[in-house]
Amino acid sequence: MYQYTDFDRQFVHARAAQFRDQLERNLAGKLGEDEFRPLRLQNGWYIQRHAPMLRIAVPYGEISSRQLRTLGRIARDFDRGYGHFTTRQNLQFNWIPLVRSADVMDALAAVDMHGIQTSGNCIRNITSDALAGVAPDEVVDPRPYIEILRQWSTLHPEFAFLPRKFKIAVTGAREDRAAIAWHDIGLQILKNDAGAIGFKVLVGGGMGRTPVIGSVAREFLPWQQVLLYIEAIVRVYNRYGRRDNMYKARIKILVKAEGQKFFDAVEAEFAHILKDDVDGAAHLISLAELERVKRSFELPAGVTEAGAPAAPPTETAPAFRRWLERNVHGHRLSGYRAVTLSLKRAGQAPGDVTADQMDAAAAIADRFSHGELRVTHDQNLVLPWVQERDLAELWQAAREASFASPNIGLFTDMIACPGGDFCGLANARSIPIAAEITERFADLDELYDIGDIDLHISGCINSCGHHHSGHIGILGVDKDGKEWYQLSLGGSDGSTLSGPSVPGRVIGPSFAADEVTDAIEALIQTYKQQRAANERFIDTVRRVGIEPFKGPANAVRHSTAQAA
Amino acid sequence: MKFIDLPKDPWHPLGGEDGPPVSINADPYLLLDLSQWHAARAAWPAGVPVGLKLANDQDVESIGADLPRFALIALHFPKWVDGRAYSQARLLRSRYRFPGEVRATGEVLVDMLPLLQRTGFDAVVLRADQSRDAAERALSFFPGHYQGDVRDNRPLFAQPPGTAERLANKAQEFISGGASI
Repeated sequence: MYQYTDFDRQFVHARAAQFRDQLERNLAGKLGEDEFRPLRLQNGWYIQRHAPMLRIAVPYGEISSRQLRTLGRIARDFDRGYGHFTTRQNLQFNWIPLVRSADVMDALAAVDMHGIQTSGNCIRNITSDALAGVAPDEVVDPRPYIEILRQWSTLHPEFAFLPRKFKIAVTGAREDRAAIAWHDIGLQILKNDAGAIGFKVLVGGGMGRTPVIGSVAREFLPWQQVLLYIEAIVRVYNRYGRRDNMYKARIKILVKAEGQKFFDAVEAEFAHILKDDVDGAAHLISLAELERVKRSFELPAGVTEAGAPAAPPTETAPAFRRWLERNVHGHRLSGYRAVTLSLKRAGQAPGDVTADQMDAAAAIADRFSHGELRVTHDQNLVLPWVQERDLAELWQAAREASFASPNIGLFTDMIACPGGDFCGLANARSIPIAAEITERFADLDELYDIGDIDLHISGCINSCGHHHSGHIGILGVDKDGKEWYQLSLGGSDGSTLSGPSVPGRVIGPSFAADEVTDAIEALIQTYKQQRAANERFIDTVRRVGIEPFKGPANAVRHSTAQAA
Repeated sequence: MKFIDLPKDPWHPLGGEDGPPVSINADPYLLLDLSQWHAARAAWPAGVPVGLKLANDQDVESIGADLPRFALIALHFPKWVDGRAYSQARLLRSRYRFPGEVRATGEVLVDMLPLLQRTGFDAVVLRADQSRDAAERALSFFPGHYQGDVRDNRPLFAQPPGTAERLANKAQEFISGGASI
């Protein structure tokens, strides 16, 4: 993973010192709440329902065991002993008093971590494929490019107060595991026929109230130009994006409203930067810089290109076989596997980890994965460097630490935001719905029978739980002060399994909280009746449409019937 | 960074009604808005310093040809979280090579100073309740930055070899020297 230089280290310490100065002025009454708010947001500090929430950046999901242990210590010393991994590969704490926030930033800076631009109307922490650098279908390892992008976007003076938040996702693989079309900018690194490396650039995707799939701005942008091209996009957005209505302020609205004019403006701006600006080409990425950053992403010491091929594991437990099938993934190096530690299990909210579990995951990473982990977009952890011959032992260790649910990609491997239990924005709770569904679908045989399916739950239209892209999406809505849930079908995150990115379609009026799980079960039963041999849920929905699902789902209504 | 003390500042707006007046006397140090400038530009004598107030939704490009005639451009922050003027300043400096004063007006708060300085502002009218000491301290925290800015458009990676190390050492000495940050 990326190795901080002395400069990088001093930079995050400086950021912590700057934040302490701002906090102290706030506590002394010299910096008003309205003026402190955007400053603390750009360091990851929200004021939530119960206490401030801190969102810590995990750049492109890469985290070391040492960093994870520090997060565990922060959970114990400052929070209530747990944290939450998000769909944007970050970690959130929920219970840290604001007066202690500067101390937490110092503790984070000591292990090269921070909350820079994890919130606020700026370029957010950049996300990527959790299997970057190890996936067998990878064309180009995206991590060095993302690190260069991360540095460029960090405290960019012109782009700190955009009309709205700005999210970038990058993949370098054939399979899109980063949902790039759903982002303000989506980048796919590829090689052209001549073998040159470049970026396919998508602009204007996003979820929220108006789900939009990103449009192609460039099919192949030479890699050297990517900072300048993004500068052009963000400058056009900063100048012309709407600021009169926060629900229409994302770049997707500008792209939709202006159409081709938007893309023409970006191209014109890009040409101006190169042709007219003082030292305009200075941000072309040099080969020397790319090589310097790439050195951080060489194989961990001890990992070799030709790992020892292992004999098949002797472990024969059926649970182990299932775990191999669902939680163990191919690797670009022979003799190695990437392994998911599932954070989806009964009794804990999706993505939640206790301090002890953080320590356990760190110990497992030290023992089996050279101290490296990844946070996935689906709110699990991945060990990127596991030797095949260690799989049975790893399975035992993962079981002891409650990470071995063999459910990756299955119904209970759902995405869910923290929802109304924590979030000040939420209209409804997500966690109880997730818990009820997890309980209802606890039977492994049934989960395997249902097969591959994406269930995404958001507590409000801000869509942190990506309900638009779920094969089944659940959206919490507020009606007359009560929690209601809208169900949608057929959404896609852009993966091969899910098909081209598309928002799901709402199947009808909202369901009451006590009807949701029954309605979900009705959807699953309908799928089982309708499916062709070996047909996955999403394929059945695409083939038969949403109509056949409506009747069975509506039949479970009892509270809504009374309310009507 | 120049901190403007308004009572001592020679720049002044046109008195009277808003909007384009019938005639404008070419007083030195007049600060005109765009419509006033359009009314005055044909007759404005060379050598009499004039400044322009540009709203943050007015394009820098629209005054590109007139820029050599201005001694000052005042860019406005109607709200401090509205970041459009940063792009305007950056264009004035990097694209149009405007050499005069670029002044920040409106809701200008101390924590904006690093951004203002790096996008090309060289003068600020702080909001009345803001502390100049805090504003100067706000400029002191970082050893350097990753991306280039209007003072030097080269990003850290394009700086001469050893620059990052030198900046890191300087920051380290600053801290171990007992700095109170």
